[in-house]
Amino acid sequence: MIANILDGIVLGLQFGLLATGLTLIYGLGGVLNLGYGQIAVVSAITVALAMDAGMPVLPAVGLGLLVGGLLGLFLDQTILRPVYRLRGEGRVLLSLLLTLGVSFIVDGFLNWRFPLKALSLHIGGGAVEILGVLMRRGSLVASAITLVTFAGLFVFFRSTSLGRAIRSVIEDEDGARLIGIDPKQMLRLILILSGVLAALVAVTRSMVAPVDTKSGLSITVFALIVTVVGGLGNVVGALLAGIILGIINVIAAKLIGSYISLIILLGAAAVTILIRPAGLLGVKE
Amino acid sequence: MSGQFTGSTGTFLIGGTEARTSRALPALLIPLAAAGAILALVPIWIGDSRVLMGVAVLGLAFVCYTIGFNVIFGSTGQLFLCVGALAGVGGFGATILADNVGLPIVVSILVATLAATLIGGLLSFIAVKRSLGVIFTGIVTLIFTLSFDALLLGLSNLTGGDSGRLIASGADTLLRARDRVLPYYLMLALVVLFLLVHGLLRRSHIGWAFRALRDDAVAAELAGVDVARYRVYGALIGAAMLGLAGSTYVLTEGRISPTTFGFGRVDVVVLVMLAFGGIGTLFGPIVGAVTFTIIDEILIDFGQLRHVAYGILIIVLFLWMPRGVIPTAAYLWRRVRRLVEVRE
Amino acid sequence: MLEVTGLSAGYQGNDVVHNVALRVDKGEAVMIIGSNGSGKTTLFQTMCGLLSPSSGKVLFEGDDITGIPAERIARLGMRFVSAARHLFPRMTVQEHLLLGAYPNRPDPETMSIVLDLFPRLAERRRQRAGTMSGGEQQMLAVGRALMSKPRLLVLDEPSTGLAPLLAKAAYEALAVLRERGLTVLITEQQVPLAMAFCDRGYVLENGFIRLEGTTEQLAANPAVRSAYLGVT
Repeated sequence: MIANILDGIVLGLQFGLLATGLTLIYGLGGVLNLGYGQIAVVSAITVALAMDAGMPVLPAVGLGLLVGGLLGLFLDQTILRPVYRLRGEGRVLLSLLLTLGVSFIVDGFLNWRFPLKALSLHIGGGAVEILGVLMRRGSLVASAITLVTFAGLFVFFRSTSLGRAIRSVIEDEDGARLIGIDPKQMLRLILILSGVLAALVAVTRSMVAPVDTKSGLSITVFALIVTVVGGLGNVVGALLAGIILGIINVIAAKLIGSYISLIILLGAAAVTILIRPAGLLGVKE
Repeated sequence: MSGQFTGSTGTFLIGGTEARTSRALPALLIPLAAAGAILALVPIWIGDSRVLMGVAVLGLAFVCYTIGFNVIFGSTGQLFLCVGALAGVGGFGATILADNVGLPIVVSILVATLAATLIGGLLSFIAVKRSLGVIFTGIVTLIFTLSFDALLLGLSNLTGGDSGRLIASGADTLLRARDRVLPYYLMLALVVLFLLVHGLLRRSHIGWAFRALRDDAVAAELAGVDVARYRVYGALIGAAMLGLAGSTYVLTEGRISPTTFGFGRVDVVVLVMLAFGGIGTLFGPIVGAVTFTIIDEILIDFGQLRHVAYGILIIVLFLWMPRGVIPTAAYLWRRVRRLVEVRE
Repeated sequence: MLEVTGLSAGYQGNDVVHNVALRVDKGEAVMIIGSNGSGKTTLFQTMCGLLSPSSGKVLFEGDDITGIPAERIARLGMRFVSAARHLFPRMTVQEHLLLGAYPNRPDPETMSIVLDLFPRLAERRRQRAGTMSGGEQQMLAVGRALMSKPRLLVLDEPSTGLAPLLAKAAYEALAVLRERGLTVLITEQQVPLAMAFCDRGYVLENGFIRLEGTTEQLAANPAVRSAYLGVT
């Protein structure tokens, strides 16, 4: 049982970090980025190609993260410009549709050009024992990196003036403007950050299982579900929802079977949304 | 902007001919007959090619799916991202009932359609009872789609799992004839039927209620329209169309697999087709589905690159013609006419 | 310091304020009085940059700031405290004050001035804004604005939702700030409060400036007296 819970936490941390980028974008800009999974996949493939070309692992990963951030910036500067002119539901819908279009373009291109490419990072060394359970080194490193990232995000948002400024835009956009904070600038930063986070999740995921060119849509869908369950715009909620859903996923899979466990996971998500549409920690409107 | 009301959908998307729906029957029947006639003639041109006929039959199936989605989303503003799944309930339901349970084909189709109808109504009922906005309705229905997909893979002895299965029922009938003529006219009959139903609906008091609640759900509620009830009506009718189309199509094909009704295969395509044709318009689904079927066939050799083309099309579409071809064309036409009148 | 000429603004093509002209000189305390619906808030929203004017000019210290968005205006030395206050519900008093100085580093001296002025805030430094009372929120909104050391402070209906005692206390705090050199522009519905504090004023009715003058002149005006001071 403990092994399952630990596995669930490992998976859950990934879910949480994945959802964090998406939930920040929504909380700040009222925009849903359906191209999120594609950013992750492109970053992963970049790392794979770089390593194929002979680059050592760390610089290749750095390159991947850079690509993720740049893609986020690109979205902000191009596709999302017309979206910003709308408000409320119209803005969400248009952002949804345009980013869907972008995800198609990326998906089509990747699958046409690199149909079999996948990223797999092997972490050397044998299994390590945690709480009496043998865990693969890859899972441990992935989880450690994810935890450190969360800690870093936490510090950033709590203790830096830029982090506070970003939070203030999520809290009250007009209020932030009245004290000299430019919401568009903050959104640009968040889009870059979310791109980097997507890349980071792809890279850490590849330490556990390969990330290939077809993963884009499923990554986006999972990110979306965890985001909604945790509460749109709430980072702690994303982490919490991620871990809970991760644990449910693993335990259900062990007890019942992988297909049914997916249904249970989805069912749990649906039930949460129906009982509490604002999400686990969302702010009730 | 309609942003502040959870009930109404981003009205920048939904065109539809608001006050211009003529109640006169000829206004509906004449274009419908014309469209039907034109489509009926298609086999004359491409009847020699089995491949092209297969594409045409699938194209008509997509017209049906798009009409169903149009009734649900275009008429009542509910973003149902489970179009493929509902059609799949019809398809897989009919398959299992006909092959495994042994019911006659027609009965299987009817029962499966009923199942799809009830599920669609249930989803709408849940969404309405919990006051889910557009986005959340989309997410909940998406969850249904994913669950359905997982269910199909899980019950692989019934559904054939990943690779799908063959359908024995109807194997030696005209349904499966190599030339695909009967299937074509069968699906065409469904198209005409659905358009007729939708057209009559628009002209009825139900259609009036639909328009009211689509434009501004809060105002409609205040005006006495039972928004909840009409939303569920819309979902029931649309889901019925989807189930019927899905089950009929699959029984003419003889094959079924999870990808036949997958999200990427059906939902996304239907959304684009409808948006292209004009969400909420009557003939939008035909315009959109036929156009995209043709484009898809032309681009078939490009393989995955087609998705790039679709992505670009989606972006261009929603940036410059968010209301779709029909409303935009109608709008431009009115502008031209006004210009001409001014000149004279 | 602040000069507005011919300003018209409104929503969705319909102007709510028409051809407004007003002036605030350095060191003054100026009021804009008017009843509900007179357009005070629309005027405020336009001056602070949340709303774009349909015509007219706004000059601050000689520079044309017409139509400039709020986030840029806030960096010019003017701060606006709106009637809605626009606080950040889940952030603490401390975080609000730190943010007030954005993008500069918060000046400890300014911080202590603000906390001296509003001792209630000092007591509640770690409290979240969403859980505070109306009076405390108002203090926080003003305190946040002060952290940027503005030369001009513009307040929209500062007495809204405050019990009379608290409203008086708010104005007393403003008086202290005036002594330290702050220029103040206030829109106010509770006319006696504003008159006790301001030197000069404008009367806004149905979106038009109907009257202007010193406080004494306005207080003596029979129309003003009957409409706003309840004197028949």
